[in-house]
Amino acid sequence: MRSYLAARIAQLVLTFFVILTLVFFLFRLGLPDPTSALITEGLSQEDIQRTRERFGLDLPVWQQYFVFLGNLFTGELGTSFHYRAPVGFIVVDRLLNTLAMMLPAILLAYTLGPALGVQLTWKRGRGIERGGITLGLILRSAPVFWTGMLAIFVFGVGLGILPTSGMRTLPYEASGFFDKILTLDFLRHLILPMLVVAAYYIALPMLIMRNTMLEVIGDDFIEFCRARGFSEARTMYRHAARNALLPVVTQAAVTTGLAVGGQIVVEVVFSWPGLGREMFQAVQTSDYPMAQATFIFMAGMILVLNFLVDLVYGRLDPRVADASVRS
Amino acid sequence: MRTRLLGLLALLAALMMIAVACAPAEQEDEPADADEAVEETDEEEDDEDVADEDVEVETFAEIDLLTTTEGYDPIRYEAAFMIEETWGELGVDVNVEPTEFSTLIETFYDQQDFDAVVAGWSGRVDRLDPQHFLGTLHGGQTDLGGNNPGQFVDADYDELFELQRAEPDLEQRVEYVQDMQAIAGEEVPVNVLFYRDEVVAYNNENFEDFVEMAGEALYNEWTPYEVTPVGDETDLTIGTPEEPDTINPLDSTTVWGWKFMRMYYDKLIRLSPDAEPEAWAAESWDAPDDTTWEITLRDDMTFHDGEPVTVDDVKFTYDYYLEQEFGYFMPFIEMIEETEVVDDETVRFHLDSPFGPFPNVTLAQIPILPEHIWADIDEPQDLAPEDIPTVGSGPMEFESYDIGEYQSLVVFDDHFTAEDFDIERMELIIYADAEGVFTGLQTQEIDMTAWRLEPGQIPQAEDEDFLTVVNAPDFGYYHLTFNLDVEPFDDPEVRRALSHAIDKDQIVDVLLDGRGEPGTSVIAPSNPTWHNPDTATFEFDMDQARQILSDAGYYD
Repeated sequence: MRSYLAARIAQLVLTFFVILTLVFFLFRLGLPDPTSALITEGLSQEDIQRTRERFGLDLPVWQQYFVFLGNLFTGELGTSFHYRAPVGFIVVDRLLNTLAMMLPAILLAYTLGPALGVQLTWKRGRGIERGGITLGLILRSAPVFWTGMLAIFVFGVGLGILPTSGMRTLPYEASGFFDKILTLDFLRHLILPMLVVAAYYIALPMLIMRNTMLEVIGDDFIEFCRARGFSEARTMYRHAARNALLPVVTQAAVTTGLAVGGQIVVEVVFSWPGLGREMFQAVQTSDYPMAQATFIFMAGMILVLNFLVDLVYGRLDPRVADASVRS
Repeated sequence: MRTRLLGLLALLAALMMIAVACAPAEQEDEPADADEAVEETDEEEDDEDVADEDVEVETFAEIDLLTTTEGYDPIRYEAAFMIEETWGELGVDVNVEPTEFSTLIETFYDQQDFDAVVAGWSGRVDRLDPQHFLGTLHGGQTDLGGNNPGQFVDADYDELFELQRAEPDLEQRVEYVQDMQAIAGEEVPVNVLFYRDEVVAYNNENFEDFVEMAGEALYNEWTPYEVTPVGDETDLTIGTPEEPDTINPLDSTTVWGWKFMRMYYDKLIRLSPDAEPEAWAAESWDAPDDTTWEITLRDDMTFHDGEPVTVDDVKFTYDYYLEQEFGYFMPFIEMIEETEVVDDETVRFHLDSPFGPFPNVTLAQIPILPEHIWADIDEPQDLAPEDIPTVGSGPMEFESYDIGEYQSLVVFDDHFTAEDFDIERMELIIYADAEGVFTGLQTQEIDMTAWRLEPGQIPQAEDEDFLTVVNAPDFGYYHLTFNLDVEPFDDPEVRRALSHAIDKDQIVDVLLDGRGEPGTSVIAPSNPTWHNPDTATFEFDMDQARQILSDAGYYD
C-alpha cells in the first residue's frame, strides 16, 4: 500500500509538472502577443519597451518559463496583465464564487440523477423509461448557452420572477464570502444558473445508474431479495442501487474536478463572477498570468480528486493498487 | 489503467476548455446580416463583371489588401471584399488577406510590410482635438512603429501641422486644420471609408434628458448632470460589458478605467458636449506667450477627505506624472518643462515648444491628485488593489468597486457643481457580455447601456416602448491606407481613381445597416469645430475611375 501511495504521488507531481509546462507554452504559442493587450495605440517605442520590461516580456521565452516555475514554487502566481493586480487574490475570490454555484448543482444532479436512474430500471419497458431516456439525452445534448438563454427569456424577461445576472442584488455590502452567500437574495440569483447546470449534468449519473442497474438486477442476490419477500422499492434502492453506485461515484469525482473551472458558458450567460468567466476573459485579452493560474487551478483540482478516487478504489479493490504499481 | 484514463480525460478536458474559451471570442460582434451582405454584392457585381472582362491594367502587380478576420470585425472583413470586387472591375487584381488583429497591427505599423490595409482609429475623448488624427499623416511619424505607416510626406501639410500645433488662437488653428484636411483629401494617402454610429439605449420610464456626445454616446461626463428622474428612482444604473483595468490613476490605460475615474477626480478643464474647453477647476486660462500657459484655480474646492485643493496639488500632480513617466499620459505632458506656482491661485506651465492644444488635450485630461496622499507613494504601480487611493475632488465620490460585478459613485455635496445633479448615485453593473447587458435593459435592471448594442438587439430595443434607442455618431473612423512606397500607390492619380471605385454608401447601407456615415475626412463631421466640410469626397463613379486611369496611361 505504501509503495502504491508513493508511486501515485510521484505520478501526480510529474503530471502536474507536465501540465504546467504545457499550459505555459500553449498560451505563448496560441494567444496573440499580450503587448497588444497591454499597450494602447499611440504609445512611444520607449514606453512600450518599459511596459514589456515591467511584465518581464522582454526576456526570452525559456527565461520567462524559469521565472514562472520559480515564482510558482514560492506561491507567486504573477501579476495580471489586465487588472495590474496579483492574480492569486482574484483567482481565489472567483473560485469561491464558482464553487458556490457548481457544488449545489452537482449535489442536485448526483442525488436526483441516480435516483431517477433506479426508477428507470424499475419501470423498464414502460413509457416512462423511454421518456426518461429521451429527456436525459435531450438535456445532455442541449447546449447550455441555449438552455440558459431560454431560462432567462422565460423566467427573467417573460415572467420577471427571477434575477438573471450576477450573484446578488447590488449594491450590497458583504463582510465576507459566507456573508455573501448566506442570504435569500443569493439563493434567488442561484436558482436559474444552478438549475441549468444541474439539468445538463443530471443525465450522465441517471443513464450510468440505469446501465449498471440493468447488470446488477440480473444477479442472483436480487432474486434472493425478492424471494425473501422484500418490497420492490427496498430491493431496488437498498440492495441493487448500492451495488450499482460505484461508477457514478467515479463520474462524480471527475465532474467535481472539472467543476472548479466552472461552466464557462453558463457563467458568461448569467454574468456569474466565477472562474470560468475570468478564464474566458483572460484568453480574450491574452492575460497570460491570469489564464495560466485559472488552468493550473483547474488541472490541480482534477489531479487531486482523481488521486483521491484512486485511493478509495485501492481500498475497495486491492487489485487496482497492484496493477498500477506494476505498470 | 484507470489512472491513465483519468489523466487523459483531464488533459482532454483542459484542451477542450481552451477550445471552448477561444471559440466565442472569434464570433464576437457578428451582425445578423453579414451573410446577406455578401450575397447582395455578389449578384450586383456578377452582371457588371461580364461587361468589363476585357479591361486589364497590365502595369499593376497584384495588390495585397490586409484586413481583420471575420471573427474580429465582420464589417472591415466584408468591406475589403467589396473593395476587391469594384477594383477588380477596373482590372486591378486584389488579394484580400484577412489577418489576426495583433499580427495585422504589427505588419501595418511596426513592419510597414503592406500594399493597402483596411484599419481603424477609435474615437477617444483626447482625440477630439485634431492633433492626434492629423498626426497620422505627418511626415515626422513615418518611422517603423509610427502612426503614419503609409509614408505620406507633404511639405505643405507638415508645415501647417507645425503651425497648428503651435497656435494658441482657436480660430487661426481651425483654419490651419481645415487646410490640412483639404490637402489630405486631395492627395488621398488614406481613404476614410466610414464613421460608425454608436447605437445605445436607455429606459425612458426612469430617466430622461440624456446627453449625447460624439464618440462617447451616452456614457459621458455630462449625462449624470443632465438626466432627470421621471419617477422616484434617483440612482442612475448603467450596464456595461467592460470594466476598468484598474482604478489606479497611475496605471490605468483603458478608457473604461478613465470613464469611471473622471467622475471622482477633477480636471482643470472639461470638454463640453461639443468638445469645446470649459472652465472647471481652472477658473480661467491664458497663454502669455506661445510656450507658457497660466491657469487660475478656483478657491472653493475640497477633496473628498476634507482637505482643500490648492495650487500645490496641481503642481504636484503634473510633476508626479512626469516623474513617474506614465506612458498613457506622456503624449499630453511631455512638452512641459517646468510647473511653477506663481501665487496661491495661479499655476504656470513652461513648455519646451509651442503646443496649441494644451488646454484641450493636456489640461482636460490630467486628473488633480491630492498631494497629501500621493506624495508618499514612490512606486504607485506596485500598489495592491485594496491600497489604491480613491480620494479625488470630483463631482462624485468613489463608493465601491467589486471586480467583475459592480462600481458605484455618490454625488459629492461640497462640489461646486453639486446643485446641478438631479440624481444621487450612479452605479455600473458589470456583465459578462453585451447579451447580459441587453437582458438587463429588458428586465429593467439597468437604465442605460454604456456600450453599443449588438446589431441583432437594435430592432428588439426599438420595439420596446420603454426603451429609447440613440444613434450617436462617432468621430473615430475606419480607413483604407495606401502604402505610398509601393507602386502604383505612389501615383496620386491611381489613389484618386481607386477612391472613386469604392462604394461607401453600400458599405454603410449594407454592412452597417445604415447606422453610420460614408467617410470623408480624418476629422469627422461629428466633430464640427474642426471638420472641413469641403474635403474631397470621391463619389462612387466607376466611369470616372476608368477615365482617370486611362488619362494617366494605365490602360495602354
